[in-house]
Amino acid sequence: MKVLIVEDERTLALEIEAFLKKESYICDFARNANEALQKVGINEYDFVLLDLGLPDQDGLLVLKEAKKLNPDTAYIILTARGKLEDRIKGLDLGADDYLPKPFSLLELQSRMQAISRRKFGFNVELIPLGEFKLDLQKRLVWCQQNEIALSRKEFDLLSYLVLHKNRPLTRMQLSEHIWGNFADDDFDSNYIDAHIKNIRKKLGAFAETDWLETMRGIGYKIRI
Amino acid sequence: MARNNEGNWLQNKNIGVKLLTKLTFFITLSKLAIVALFVLLLPYLVERIASEYTNYYLRQQKQKVLQITKLKGIDFYLQGDESYGSYTMLKEEYIALEPSYYPFKKDTIETARRIVEQDTLSYRILKHNFKAKNKKYLLEIGKSTSSINQYNHPLQRIALFVLIGLIALTIVVDLVFTRIFLKPLGLIIKDKLIDQKFPFSKQLVPIKTSTYDFKYLDSVISNLMLQINVAFEKEREFTANASHELLTPISILQTKIENMMIEVGLAEKNHHQLAEMMRTVNRLKKIVNSLMLISRIENKQFDKKDEVLLNNLIAEVMEELAHRLTDNSLKFTIQLTHQVCLKNLNHDLLFQLFYNLINNAIRYNKPKGEILISDAISKGYYTISVKDTGYGISQKDLPLIFNRFKRINKVETAGYGLGLAIVKSIADYHHLKLTVNSEENIGTTFTIVFPNI
Repeated sequence: MKVLIVEDERTLALEIEAFLKKESYICDFARNANEALQKVGINEYDFVLLDLGLPDQDGLLVLKEAKKLNPDTAYIILTARGKLEDRIKGLDLGADDYLPKPFSLLELQSRMQAISRRKFGFNVELIPLGEFKLDLQKRLVWCQQNEIALSRKEFDLLSYLVLHKNRPLTRMQLSEHIWGNFADDDFDSNYIDAHIKNIRKKLGAFAETDWLETMRGIGYKIRI
Repeated sequence: MARNNEGNWLQNKNIGVKLLTKLTFFITLSKLAIVALFVLLLPYLVERIASEYTNYYLRQQKQKVLQITKLKGIDFYLQGDESYGSYTMLKEEYIALEPSYYPFKKDTIETARRIVEQDTLSYRILKHNFKAKNKKYLLEIGKSTSSINQYNHPLQRIALFVLIGLIALTIVVDLVFTRIFLKPLGLIIKDKLIDQKFPFSKQLVPIKTSTYDFKYLDSVISNLMLQINVAFEKEREFTANASHELLTPISILQTKIENMMIEVGLAEKNHHQLAEMMRTVNRLKKIVNSLMLISRIENKQFDKKDEVLLNNLIAEVMEELAHRLTDNSLKFTIQLTHQVCLKNLNHDLLFQLFYNLINNAIRYNKPKGEILISDAISKGYYTISVKDTGYGISQKDLPLIFNRFKRINKVETAGYGLGLAIVKSIADYHHLKLTVNSEENIGTTFTIVFPNI
């Protein structure tokens, strides 16, 4: 999939690219509004990651224009402005999602995946996980014919780990995904442990869960 | 025990007396004292005046008699007799002339009794010795004391009335003018000081007055307010700009660390280091986000159009927080008895307010402690309290807890010191009153008062 990163901060744009490249996205850059509109006019992108605070023009104007040129592209606003109106205006103008800076790359990817599923109608087959299968649409876990009931937060946790499989995720990254801005490292790390324990207990009743690894002092990793 | 966080001396405006009242009191009392003094002195004064006048009168009379004896000879009076005496019809005055056999004495004036035609009367008498035709004579001129004193009473009364009238007039004039002179001060207090809430949003119009002192006071107060506003504005701008500018570098750090963490073949030691770095960046991120939130509230960037059912709101908060109760085995009780729908609020901010208060109640509680959320309606106000059985806050620290970066509890789980500052700014933004009761090692209660429900 092709992604246009509209960001005037070069280092940040490069970090986003480095991350997305590993997920097989092809990235292009635009450093200002003008460049962004030119590129959107020529190329077809699946995603445009749009910073609102651009040097030449307001990112929201870019969104408006780009949307006319390329209505099928998914637009994600990445901004440090954090004004409530920006968020509402952005979503009104047809942005598909909104991530306030500083954001986690893992969270960005998770949002992009969700948009892909929703927008591009990606037929999400059941994701295999050892002897289990994960149904992201219906938010269910299956083991052969058995449906396993996980709580909302337990499922969120599991699917986030699955999405970033083979990568170590810190407790903090996990709690930030679950509780967003309200995550509190000191408290919620323990709670992540408790959740993982629950997941292991519930799934372990049906089959091995050795794919879910604990990384001492860091967090967890799903190895598939 | 209870302490209003506003800690504003202006709230004690009922203590102390207004300057105008003081002046009115002083003017009235001082004039009344003068009247009393005068009333006490009046009889003595009138008597003195009457007696001085009588002495003068008697001397005048003496001069007349001596004049006549000089011109017409002593025989004009004596008519060949040894002595002479005469009195007026009602015996108010008399004159007596008789030979004297005593050595010469100076004139004397004294009060003495004389018998005039069987009546014994008291007279003021002038005695004068003089020589005529080689003979010594004694002249006595007398005026009855009753005739002297007959005007005393009416005189006293008239003097008193006139005085009272004048004093009353001066009191009225004094009070009217004090009022007029002090009016600019009242205006300064009313326009500039009463009900002034920081930041000062009222327009500062100079008070019209010709009194230099008030002009000066007024301009200094206006200037100070302006300066405070400018300083506050600058601080607000700085907080907004600084925190905003920090967000991009933090983003870069965070994404860099995240990218490094997924490098293949990273040693476990490096993993740990990266996780530590990420924690630190996260902490920085939270501080900046909290500061941004405060500055956005202070910049009034939030609508206040939501209707909030507190029961639902608390339930929403607890959905995010309930899991933290289990850590310390805390007992959590909600006693909301009034189904109150609060209007014209910002739902997200109110959520944040209760989130922070309840989160603190959890954070600073003791193992197996309790948290109670209760409400009440009194005098048209709806109040909701969050009570914990935690470490409490010392009296000395109570006024400081809403300050930014002030961390009172030095417990392990202490936060960044911005939670209560956020609570305060949200409460201020919605014009909610926030009070704290706390006792060390017993617990803390935060109470929020919602006006006009």
